[in-house]
Amino acid sequence: MRIVRWRAITPLLVFTAIGALLWWLLADRLARRAAEAVGTAIVGAKVEIQGLHIDLAKGDVTVRGLTVASPHEALKNLFQADELVADIDMLPLLEKKVIIDRLAANGLRFGTPRATDGRVPVDSSGSVSGRVMTEARDWAQRFQVPALQLATGKIDVGTLDPRRLSAIPAAEALSARADSSRRTWQTGLDSLRLAATIDSATATLTRLRGARATDLAALSDARRAIEQLKQARGRVTALERGVTGGLAALRAGVAGLDSAKQRDYAFARGLLKLPTLDAPEIGLALFAPSAVAQFQRALYWTQLARAHMPPGLLPRAEQGPPRVRRSGSTVRFPREHALPGFLLRTAELSFQLDPTAPQPKRYAGRLTGLTSDPALYGRPTLFEASAPAVTAAAMLDHVHATARDTAGATVQGVRVPLIQLPALLMALDPGQGTAQLGFALRGDTIRARWAIRSTHVQWSRDSAAQRSTGADLLWRTLSGISDLQVDAGVTGTLSQPRLVVRSNLDAAIAARLRTMLGEEVAAAERRLRAEVDRQVDPAIAPVRARVTGLQTEITARLAQQRARLDQAQKDLESRLRELTRIRLP
Amino acid sequence: MLTLVKLLQSLVKALHSEGTPGQLAAGIALGSILGLTPLLSLHNAIVFALIVLLNVSFPGAMLGWALFVPIGFLLDPLFDSIGHTLLFTPSLTPFFTSLYNMPVVPLTNFNNTVTLGSLVFSVVFFLPLFFATRWGVARYRATIGERVRQSKWYRTVTASKLYNVYRLFRPEA
Repeated sequence: MRIVRWRAITPLLVFTAIGALLWWLLADRLARRAAEAVGTAIVGAKVEIQGLHIDLAKGDVTVRGLTVASPHEALKNLFQADELVADIDMLPLLEKKVIIDRLAANGLRFGTPRATDGRVPVDSSGSVSGRVMTEARDWAQRFQVPALQLATGKIDVGTLDPRRLSAIPAAEALSARADSSRRTWQTGLDSLRLAATIDSATATLTRLRGARATDLAALSDARRAIEQLKQARGRVTALERGVTGGLAALRAGVAGLDSAKQRDYAFARGLLKLPTLDAPEIGLALFAPSAVAQFQRALYWTQLARAHMPPGLLPRAEQGPPRVRRSGSTVRFPREHALPGFLLRTAELSFQLDPTAPQPKRYAGRLTGLTSDPALYGRPTLFEASAPAVTAAAMLDHVHATARDTAGATVQGVRVPLIQLPALLMALDPGQGTAQLGFALRGDTIRARWAIRSTHVQWSRDSAAQRSTGADLLWRTLSGISDLQVDAGVTGTLSQPRLVVRSNLDAAIAARLRTMLGEEVAAAERRLRAEVDRQVDPAIAPVRARVTGLQTEITARLAQQRARLDQAQKDLESRLRELTRIRLP
Repeated sequence: MLTLVKLLQSLVKALHSEGTPGQLAAGIALGSILGLTPLLSLHNAIVFALIVLLNVSFPGAMLGWALFVPIGFLLDPLFDSIGHTLLFTPSLTPFFTSLYNMPVVPLTNFNNTVTLGSLVFSVVFFLPLFFATRWGVARYRATIGERVRQSKWYRTVTASKLYNVYRLFRPEA
């Protein structure tokens, strides 16, 4: 029997030829779809390509009509590009490594509108972008933005959930502690066995009253009884010390209830949408959502870069390719001095920042060292774009264990996006102005700044909003202001960020608010304090009384026991002195 | 339903092919690799070429493929676990690192947990499957095979056009 089926070679060759032909016909389409799928997975929003052509002979890949949707805004693109031409190193493709020596990107346009929602559903467990998006959103939620409600002139007194008040659980805990202390002290008193000691001393005293000075046994019993009484008093003293400490702790707990109540007042104040009258808080209330959105986006891209460009050379797993079968995990095994899985050595970028302008200006930028394995490449990823009125630069340094990411951009003379001020039921159109964003993340220490300057601010009012005298006054105040200066900053760590926002509007609004809402604020504060008192006092008062009662009771009992011991000892010592006194004839 | 009918057709044809039980078993065992591992992998091109070039039962291979595709889906969690264990075994890291940085080898997707786990499983499973199938086919042909061959529906199946295509790849004696 022959092992090889020789006559099947021809069909196999034909089959191989058909496969090659199909690849030749479909390679561009397959590569386009793969690029769209990979891009969408990386960015977390739809990546669409109109045409892609692979020229193996020249080692070129040309992408036409690239559209990358924004993962943050439904009907907006992150950018569009007319054409990308990549000069690819062919040999590393055999190692499944993509090395782009040079990329030329022409006609980049940022923030263009789109007809459909380009965001992909956030799946925090399934994809890297989904997880990073969820983390960035959670991070943005950490900022406590004070609410400002004044356009209707009414202060909303919201529902106060008793489960979120800290004084109530504190009172319950203190009550439990008081009960526990009472049981402990009761057990301590019982274990002293004072009654037996005092009874024994009383019996000895009775015997001693009928005894003579020569009755040495009775005298000895009396001295022993006195010694026992002294020991019992020592035990009482020890217990007293414990009780004194315990009572002090309980009293501190009662004082802590007052502190918890103060915190509840503050918490309720935040909940009740009470307009703040402090200028810094007004800045936060007005511009924090816009500022946090900017920082959240910067954090998203930075963390996404860290996820796809991790430091180190250890094997690392990432989600496998999407397919009908389970994707599994694909593990990368970077090796020192070997090529990284992906490397874009140099990219020349030509872009427009304000494509809707009558005469959009063209800018040029340069990106170097974008790689999936920074430790192998050994240099940080750099981006720079410089032109009159535009300065932008970024550095992603993931070469060492602690990643350092820095980005900064200043753009002058471009249209700054409209800022909605829902708290005021107004919108602010900065028009042509200057926008600045600085973002630095070293490890998990963040330092970011966002600033806007404009001298031609246009104000618009929500026509559907309910009018009120206060809102009208505020409108008249603000609509006369044509300058805008907003400065927002975040410092601290990712887990404990601190946000500061200042604007030139803060003082104006604060002064107007004081005039308009002073009385109402005071009334609202009284209402909320009453509401907190109503919910908290029934929980606190019994505990306070219980602690006071316990203190009185336990102190009295200890004093009583001590008095009985003292009296018994005194009687015994007195009788003993009488018996042992030397009487002269 | 059509899939089931085709599967039955393949089974009948394979069992009654002119090939020896060993050829049929080898075909099924090779086909099982196609079914157990993710299809679009470089190693499966090699397995397919072996099926075509080696004197094994081609219908047997197709039968093995068809039979083991659902089993592959069912065992994917196991494959994932096997692959994960292997790829993250520290003593094997230098070996995998060498493979990963070698030309062509990364194109096999060996560094995917499901691909590696299923390939290792199917290779280990290859010989037991081969011997069990060879024994089973021999027993079938010795017992009820002839009666099935004489039945009317068997003749209907073998008269179909597909059967002519099959004859091109039938094992040679």
